Amino acid sequence: MKVTGPAVLWERTSADKAVRSFEDAYAVVSGQLSALAEDNPIFEAHLEMLQDPMVTDTVQANMAAGMQPLKALDSAGNAIASMFAGIDDEYLAARVDDVRDIFRRLRDAMTGNSSPQAEFPEGGILVAEELLPSDTSKIDFSKVRGILCAKGSTTSHVCIIARSKGVPIRVGADISGIREGDPVEVEDPLVGGQEEVVSKLRAAGRKVYVNAGSISDIEAGIAAGADGVGLFRTEFLFIGRDSEPGAEEQESIYSQALLSCGGKPLTLRTLDVGGDKRIPYIEIPAEENPFLGLRGVRLTLARPELFRTQLKAVLAAARSVRALRPEWFADQSPLRLMLPMVCLPKEIRQVRAILEDIDPGYRGLVSLGIMIETPAAVLGAEALAAECDFFSIGTNDLTQYVMAADRGNPGVAYLYDSYNPAVQSAVRAAVRAAHSAGIPAGICGELASDPLATEMLVSSGLDSFSLSKL
Amino acid sequence: MVTAKAILSAPTGLHARPAGDLVKLVKSFEGSAVKIGVPGGRSVNAASMLSLLSLGLKSGSELEISVDGGRESEALEAVVSFLESVKD
Repeated sequence: MKVTGPAVLWERTSADKAVRSFEDAYAVVSGQLSALAEDNPIFEAHLEMLQDPMVTDTVQANMAAGMQPLKALDSAGNAIASMFAGIDDEYLAARVDDVRDIFRRLRDAMTGNSSPQAEFPEGGILVAEELLPSDTSKIDFSKVRGILCAKGSTTSHVCIIARSKGVPIRVGADISGIREGDPVEVEDPLVGGQEEVVSKLRAAGRKVYVNAGSISDIEAGIAAGADGVGLFRTEFLFIGRDSEPGAEEQESIYSQALLSCGGKPLTLRTLDVGGDKRIPYIEIPAEENPFLGLRGVRLTLARPELFRTQLKAVLAAARSVRALRPEWFADQSPLRLMLPMVCLPKEIRQVRAILEDIDPGYRGLVSLGIMIETPAAVLGAEALAAECDFFSIGTNDLTQYVMAADRGNPGVAYLYDSYNPAVQSAVRAAVRAAHSAGIPAGICGELASDPLATEMLVSSGLDSFSLSKL
Repeated sequence: MVTAKAILSAPTGLHARPAGDLVKLVKSFEGSAVKIGVPGGRSVNAASMLSLLSLGLKSGSELEISVDGGRESEALEAVVSFLESVKD
């Protein structure tokens, strides 16, 4: 989608009069972060960092040395941020943003400057050097038409939020010389254009699914006319808590998800963590290469109690919905269970053995498919297709693994390209293997939503496209 | 105050997870101020993950630990044995 509008410069108002003491501001920010942490684990990490004695100690030491409170705060923030920036560890160096964000919040609380963009003019393009997570929570996305940022990566918090609200965003933009009110343009291929994609897919007779990360996503997608859910991420049930959700809690959510689909297919992906996604109560030994380590189905197979609880809940949900709506299950179950990061037929057989053990009649309750995300899955697709009921190609990880390029690393961004002929030939090979085994193949990566890719993907024979949103 | 020396065992150094575990351990000794440093360098509050990380400790680093107050020797022993046995 391309949008234009007058530039509205994001000014970090540099109010320099403290209206609250550091201690009061600390209490305010603690409260803010605790509330935010309920929805988003990133803020849990921020809260932990805020509570670190070094934050308070450094500020108080500065004040004891005679600095004004605001100066003491700024100087402490700079000192801690530069200490982190200097550590020879990419992960820790990246925590600099978190530190700066916490000190930004404290400063806003001390100066009473809590919403610098309170009067954002409707239809403007927000132009900023950089937008931190705390800034993002202050943006009124219903008024912002587009966003231009000089710094940040396309996978940063602000990008994810902006796109999920349908607001085009560009990072790495040259914003020097843009003045308030100048007409500016933002083009973002990852936002909008879905009408075009959907109509092309309908014309080609392909199924249009939607990706969902919550019950409300499912409801919105089905209401917008999706043929089903092509990827239901179950991670939201597991994050932001101290222990895993029990079978009953999971069953109730999975039943709701099935009912919200109204008999249309629900593709439920089993817990997909590991790699860069960690859950505090699921311990993973330190790994040199987490993306080549225990993630996806490898992790759940290594944690049989955890996995069994989830599978049990899925089958129980299917059973109770079938009792309620037997007609939905008459032909084929609407519940499609999908395994992430599969490389071997054996992994599918191991999952079948657990399902069989929970309920020997499980085949009437769910079909079982896999995500195609690794070169091994593509090259061994024939053997995998013989063991399962459907393929779904996850182009985000498949691109990363085929090209051996980290999707978050700007140095190899030129390699991370889902249009690359090698990636496309992997997609076609997986589809061919599925079709010769008589099972369907879909796609659920970001590429599915890209209007420029639709024709190419349709011609590769994919049966269903799961879009980020409809 | 009691002090001791230890060699850090963690093969990939004191990164976020072991540092977090150490902070939890230190906090379990209420009333004890635990400091960790390298000989000749600064020493930091071991109840602060940010401070610990700021030391950028590598595997095999020689460390000096001091404990002031509370159950001093018990805390010292626990911290030393943690540093010498931590695996990741």
